[in-house]
Amino acid sequence: MALSWLFGLLVLIAVAGFFAGRSKSVASAGGDARGLHSRPNYYGWHVALNALVPALLLLVLWLLIQPFVLNRAVMPMLSSVDVNDRGTMSLVLSDVRRVAEGIDIAITEGAISPDEARDIQADVMDVRARLAEVGVALGSDVSIETLSAAQRYRALAYTGTSVMTILVLIVSLVGGVIAYRLVRPDFRSRNVVEFGVRMLLLSAASIAILTTVGIVLSLVFNTVEFFRLYPATDFFFGLNWAPSFSGRGGASELGILPLLWGTLYISVVALAVAVPIGLFSAIYLSEYATKRVRSIVKPMIEVLAGIPTIVYGLFALLTVGPVLVSAFGEGGVLGVSWMGGGTAVMTAGLVMGIMLIPFVSSLSDDIINAVPQSMRDGSLGLGATRSETVRQVVLPAALPGIVGAILLAASRAIGETMIVVLGAGAAARLSMNPFDAMTTITAKIVSQLTGDADFSSPEALVAFSLGMTLFVITLGLNVFALWIVRRYREQYE
Amino acid sequence: MDDLRLIERAVDMNETKISANGVQVYYGDNHAIKDVNVEIADKTVTAFIGPSGCGKSTFLRCLNRMNDTISVARVEGDIRIDGEDIYDKRVDPVQLRAKVGMVFQKPNPFPKSIYDNVAYGPKIHGLARNKAELDEIVERALRRAALWNEAKDRLQEPGTGLSGGQQQRLCIARAVATEPEVLLMDEPCSALDPIATAQVEELIDELRQSYSVVIVTHSMQQAARVSQMTAFFHLGNLVEYDETGTIFTNPSDPRTESYISGRIG
Ligand SMILES: Nc1ncnc2c1ncn2[C@@H]1O[C@H](COP(=O)(O)OP(=O)(O)OP(=O)(O)O)[C@@H](O)[C@H]1O
Ligand SMILES: [Mg+2]
Repeated sequence: MALSWLFGLLVLIAVAGFFAGRSKSVASAGGDARGLHSRPNYYGWHVALNALVPALLLLVLWLLIQPFVLNRAVMPMLSSVDVNDRGTMSLVLSDVRRVAEGIDIAITEGAISPDEARDIQADVMDVRARLAEVGVALGSDVSIETLSAAQRYRALAYTGTSVMTILVLIVSLVGGVIAYRLVRPDFRSRNVVEFGVRMLLLSAASIAILTTVGIVLSLVFNTVEFFRLYPATDFFFGLNWAPSFSGRGGASELGILPLLWGTLYISVVALAVAVPIGLFSAIYLSEYATKRVRSIVKPMIEVLAGIPTIVYGLFALLTVGPVLVSAFGEGGVLGVSWMGGGTAVMTAGLVMGIMLIPFVSSLSDDIINAVPQSMRDGSLGLGATRSETVRQVVLPAALPGIVGAILLAASRAIGETMIVVLGAGAAARLSMNPFDAMTTITAKIVSQLTGDADFSSPEALVAFSLGMTLFVITLGLNVFALWIVRRYREQYE
Repeated sequence: MDDLRLIERAVDMNETKISANGVQVYYGDNHAIKDVNVEIADKTVTAFIGPSGCGKSTFLRCLNRMNDTISVARVEGDIRIDGEDIYDKRVDPVQLRAKVGMVFQKPNPFPKSIYDNVAYGPKIHGLARNKAELDEIVERALRRAALWNEAKDRLQEPGTGLSGGQQQRLCIARAVATEPEVLLMDEPCSALDPIATAQVEELIDELRQSYSVVIVTHSMQQAARVSQMTAFFHLGNLVEYDETGTIFTNPSDPRTESYISGRIG
């Protein structure tokens, strides 16, 4: 039975349970709903939830666990693959799954009959071609071993799914019946439903947390794997970034420092542009501008936030870079020739700063507006000018929020990739000159993983350690932001 | 009313400090102040009384141009302080407000320490030459506002951490520290206990020696105790303005009479 059918059935059971529970509650109170502890609908929900939730949980768990069990079951059949070679094993296993799925699809499309499918023989039939006809593309010809594993996989999956369907339906019915039998006038179904709602909200929150945990764990595992292949001290303290690609041979140098330097340098330039401009425009908008001006200017600044970063990248590449070169480059207007090419820290930093202006200004504007008018009145009433009021009363009161806004902009800057790729170049370099081309952690993560990446080589795995480092940095920034906000809260509220 | 013994107090006829003529205030379409004429004397305490929403705060805010900060507010008419039209284009509202201090209806301490709250005005206007002088100004202002004893050990703690009544006194201290010539107080004792109230009233009486004080109050007793002149507002009109004694014992307008005796309000 297809999953959607099973799901539909569960919903049907729940709906039936709802009405059954509701009518039983009314009947049990002698037709007068006022005699019940809760409103009749709550009894209905109580039955429906009990029919649905445990069954759904079982369904989800089963679907999550089944593939693992099946993989384990067919693994011994693949005798040609070394069990300890995890990379190859997972590739072969995914081949097995694709063949199994392909055969299923071929059957539903009518390309082969179920009987035919059962006794396909790899040496007689060209399985790859037959599957390609129904739209399942395989990377290589199907070996006898893979085919037999796939057949076994199919058989096991069929049994597993059947058992699951039956079990889920049983759980649903049992849950519904038990809940139904509990319905009595003094049963507190309202509290049960309340509990259910709480669990629903809680699970939504935990999904977010679990996802984060999952991401971090995947980073951690791969990082550990990387450090097994490449010494951590060389990674953290190496001054050179020179990965060698598999074709060329030779040892790679994978020091993070040039990338970290590039990241921080570009971010600092970006913040040096975005923070003053953003903050000042926020102050102008909230303290000085008339309503009319504000209603026009604010949306216009916010348009900047809607521009895709690739467009900013093009702007950096085609406009800002050449303009900077014509000023600071060889034979430029200033005659300094600091700049070799259009791609440079300055180019990327300036453009990234422009991108960040709306982040800083929009958030700061909201925060400044949240400072009560009575504060300003107090200051103006003592004979302070507007800018004195802003500097001495409004900004200090809004500071925690503004710091938050700036740190948010900082983590955007650190995580930005597209502008860097197009504006700052790809050369990892430790240099003080802001007109040199440099690159960042994110840009290198992309370049290490694009193309034919071999996920067991240090050159590819380094991407995960880079990601982990980035994650730790932004996490640190956020913790720092929280600390500042809390410190000021204690002082001011 | 027992407190009316103060009627006997001589009202020295001082020269006029503030004179308002034909003042109208609009909040958008809402006509909040209707053609008010009033002469406020120097070295005198003038009380504004009247039911809630009748425009006392609004009129008070006209006197130091705080209504400028409300975009929908529009002020018409002629208000002069020491003979100078304060709504004239050449007048700098910032300087005007340094001269005409204000204590707001709701306490609004800055999110700074108690010390910095009081030192704010003196610092901006450069009233102190050094730290010691500033300390002195702060202490004097806090003493005058009857807050010194409670605050002297916690000067560096945030002003927002004080109780409502302490915050009110902090705002009074803050206004007094700038040494204004006119002090506008909008219900300065609304959150104070009788003892603190008595101290603030003492301060008002002391300030009268050198300044002109305008106080908005909902307490008839307080108006009678501290003021020499009383103005009764009703629905945006200045109904009656006279010596405090006359207003409380022999009002000429029936509305004043019924307000004071508690029939409207
Ligand atoms: N900022 C404002 N915007 C619009 N209308 C206002 C504003 N402030 C006051 N008003 C209106 O002006 C009128 C007078 O208000 P005002 O605050 O002067 O009353 P009040 O006499 O001080 O009252 P209370 O004794 O309650 O403080 C009211 O009708 C009020 O709604
Ligand atoms: Mg008021």
